[in-house]
Amino acid sequence: MKLRKLLAVVLACTFVLSMAACGGNDNATDPTAAAPVQSLAVCLASEPDTLDPALNASVDGATMVAHLFSALAKWSQDDNGNLVIVPECAEELTEGVENEDGTITYTYTLREGLKWSDGQPLTAADFVFSWNRAAAPATAADYCYMFDVIKGYKEVEAEADGAQLAVTALDERTLEVTLYNKVNYWNELLAFPVYMPVREDVVANEAWATDPSTYVCNGPYTITAWEHDSVITLTKNENYFDAASVTMPEIKCYLSDDANNMLTNFKNGSWLLIDDVPTAEIPALKTEYPEEFVVAGQLGTYFVCWNVNETLLPADSALTGAEKEAAQAEIRNALGLLLDRNYIVEAISQAGEMPASTFVGSGLTDADGTEYIQNAGPSDEFTGYFDVNAVEENFTAAVEVLKKYYTFDEATGMFTNAPSLTYIYNTNDAHQAIGEYIQGAFASIGFTLNLENQEWNTFLNTRNNGDFSVARHGWVADYNDPITFLDMWITSSGNNDAQLGKGAHAEFKGYSIDLTPFGYDVVVENGTWAETYDVIISYVKSCGDVETRYALMHYAEDLLMSTGCINPVYYYTDIYMLNSSVKGFYSNPLGYKYFMYTTVE
Amino acid sequence: MSSKTLVYILKRMLLAILTVWIVITVTFFVMRAVPGGPFMGEKAITPAAQAALEAKYGMDKPLFEQYTTYLSDIVTRFDFGPSLKNRGRDVIDVISDGFKTSIPLGLSAASIALVTGVILGAVAALRRNKFIDKVIMVITTAFVSMPSFIMGSLLLIVFAVKFPILPANGAAEGGLILPIITLALYPMAYITRLTRSSMLDVLGQDYIRTARAKGVSPAKVIFKHALKNSLIPVATYFGPMLAYIVTGSLVVEQIFAVPGIGRAFVSSITDRDYPMIMGTTIVLAALIVIMNLVSDILYKVIDPRITLE
Repeated sequence: MKLRKLLAVVLACTFVLSMAACGGNDNATDPTAAAPVQSLAVCLASEPDTLDPALNASVDGATMVAHLFSALAKWSQDDNGNLVIVPECAEELTEGVENEDGTITYTYTLREGLKWSDGQPLTAADFVFSWNRAAAPATAADYCYMFDVIKGYKEVEAEADGAQLAVTALDERTLEVTLYNKVNYWNELLAFPVYMPVREDVVANEAWATDPSTYVCNGPYTITAWEHDSVITLTKNENYFDAASVTMPEIKCYLSDDANNMLTNFKNGSWLLIDDVPTAEIPALKTEYPEEFVVAGQLGTYFVCWNVNETLLPADSALTGAEKEAAQAEIRNALGLLLDRNYIVEAISQAGEMPASTFVGSGLTDADGTEYIQNAGPSDEFTGYFDVNAVEENFTAAVEVLKKYYTFDEATGMFTNAPSLTYIYNTNDAHQAIGEYIQGAFASIGFTLNLENQEWNTFLNTRNNGDFSVARHGWVADYNDPITFLDMWITSSGNNDAQLGKGAHAEFKGYSIDLTPFGYDVVVENGTWAETYDVIISYVKSCGDVETRYALMHYAEDLLMSTGCINPVYYYTDIYMLNSSVKGFYSNPLGYKYFMYTTVE
Repeated sequence: MSSKTLVYILKRMLLAILTVWIVITVTFFVMRAVPGGPFMGEKAITPAAQAALEAKYGMDKPLFEQYTTYLSDIVTRFDFGPSLKNRGRDVIDVISDGFKTSIPLGLSAASIALVTGVILGAVAALRRNKFIDKVIMVITTAFVSMPSFIMGSLLLIVFAVKFPILPANGAAEGGLILPIITLALYPMAYITRLTRSSMLDVLGQDYIRTARAKGVSPAKVIFKHALKNSLIPVATYFGPMLAYIVTGSLVVEQIFAVPGIGRAFVSSITDRDYPMIMGTTIVLAALIVIMNLVSDILYKVIDPRITLE
């Protein structure tokens, strides 16, 4: 009969299909078996947006790029386990020579016999090409501004005809580059992915960085296989000048963005390093894997960001203009004092973070080599700093300040005419938990804080446009210099989410600075944000003297903190899990992981 | 096939094209109305870089012009454009890569669900109220009521952590076994219950009693008369099952890190990768429209009394 035939065919087909689909999978390898030491399986994140060193903007992408390319300098671990910048393609990281006009010229000699992974020689001209390519607006690299220290960048940025960076190849092995002025973190820039070389004929093919067959690099590894969204296989590059030191023949970078999945694969031994863990699991992991759960420092700060243009005073307040803004700065700082940072890091975020009372993150060094945050803090001239451990005193002080502006009901201990505010955060359990804590802290004195979570991209848009009153924020440094935190708040910055110097705040004249102690003939009384903060930052950028420069940065941070727009919460940490059988691994403060010198025992 | 049926199928195909076109248009304009953009990140890019990117991808043109260009590119060249997030890759590449995994995953899940579901359902019906029937009913009730993310996590814990016999990531060898099972369990349980109740219904019909009374062998009664007619409701479930597998796949691919189309679809939305959102939406919409059409035709094949018009 027709139907029986049909049914038989359907059954047969489905069985065949299911067999075919499962076929080859039946003899699944036992994931508990020890991983072969010839290959290291790790999972950093999902598929990187790009592995073009100039275009990459993610930390996971930077880790892979750091294995695939070598720049003039690189991050390395010295014998004591400290991280240092060492010469890579350059024979040595030379000192610059100051020119008459104050610019600084560096001359580097490339190592002899440098080659690309396809065997072709690598020359100084490749660096000239790569840096100009990465800096050009047409390339649209996120990190193009990392070249803003090199002479000529301003013209390149303005797309002036034929504008080029002041970098030249004197011969095949000699590279000369001129900077506008002395830059303390120049060697670190040289190790940054965007400074890595790419070859002109290779990148002419726009899809070069998406396929192993067209991927030509010059670092310790090459890409030998790339199953998109699944796994990228890095294999030792025999054309790398220091291939002899590379101990791990192969690295398999599995691509997943699901922290639970990563953890499962770590627990059953399939992956030896995972760069993310589910927040809810952190307390359990700390006790279960005391050795393998790693908390590393990271150059970043988690903070609450206020929109400077949001009215906080009660509707019947008589204050206007400069007085109003001064009062609001005081209110923002007072509300920030309500938070117990120690409680947040110990009971909520739980990833070993350090409570923060300043904006520039921990781990950055000061002019004298000490930690920058040790020298940040209470200033005679500005308000806004506090002691993170003086929780009760802070709370009392905050209430006293708020009493000046709102009606306080002594009987209930509540303010009765406080505004209702909304705190926005991007959808994430940890951000939500912190939001709920802030909500509770505010509610305890009668301030209503509504919580609103937004999907990541929407959130960025809302925050960037200033369509918020209070927002969750976080900033992670690109290099070890406080300017990477401070220049985001200048009026024209695309990251100035607090809207400082924008909108109504542009007219506000209430900031006073005195730069004479720093050797500049600048005194501003009651100036705007642009006349004060922007000016300090511009001096920081052109200052050649290290001590003055750092002093100026502390001064800028003092001014920033006095606005109350930034309530620091904690300094970020980088948490990951590393199987104890892996030796020779290190990571840098930017969160890049290095696997080339690992062995598996 | 009658000419009536042919006309019907033609009509349905035109309707399918119209549906896909509506999906394209609505998605295109809604997606652009959502706040955010493909070039946003924690750190803002410079205005010059933003302008360069917009010019490069034609996003500086008026929205309606972008829409017409997009449509004509698809119709004339089958060109879905470049991905904005995975720089250097074309949308069609990403989609076809995703399908290489998703098609075997979906087909295996669907076939396992269909075959096992029908067998278990028939067994349960024939052994009504016996022990085996009760066991099947209890298990399928559990499977039907358990969402796939719970089922997936449960299978992961049992088979990848407690008794690590199967890998937990879709990229590994054998990595698709757990996702296939996760995806198959719900439709399998549903089909079991569907088959059981419709088979019971059919078994009580007069013509079955007649067949038995005139001495038709029990096997013939079951396979020729009973099973045939009890499969009609199962055929109607074919369309919904496909929709379930496509959407369920989004969750399952996430849990098991399977490099399929579902993950590409979800991440394209969070990334505001406009061409990628369009490409995946169009492909998934077309798939569902086509499979629903197939389901309707299949329906007629199983039950000739049904006319398609």
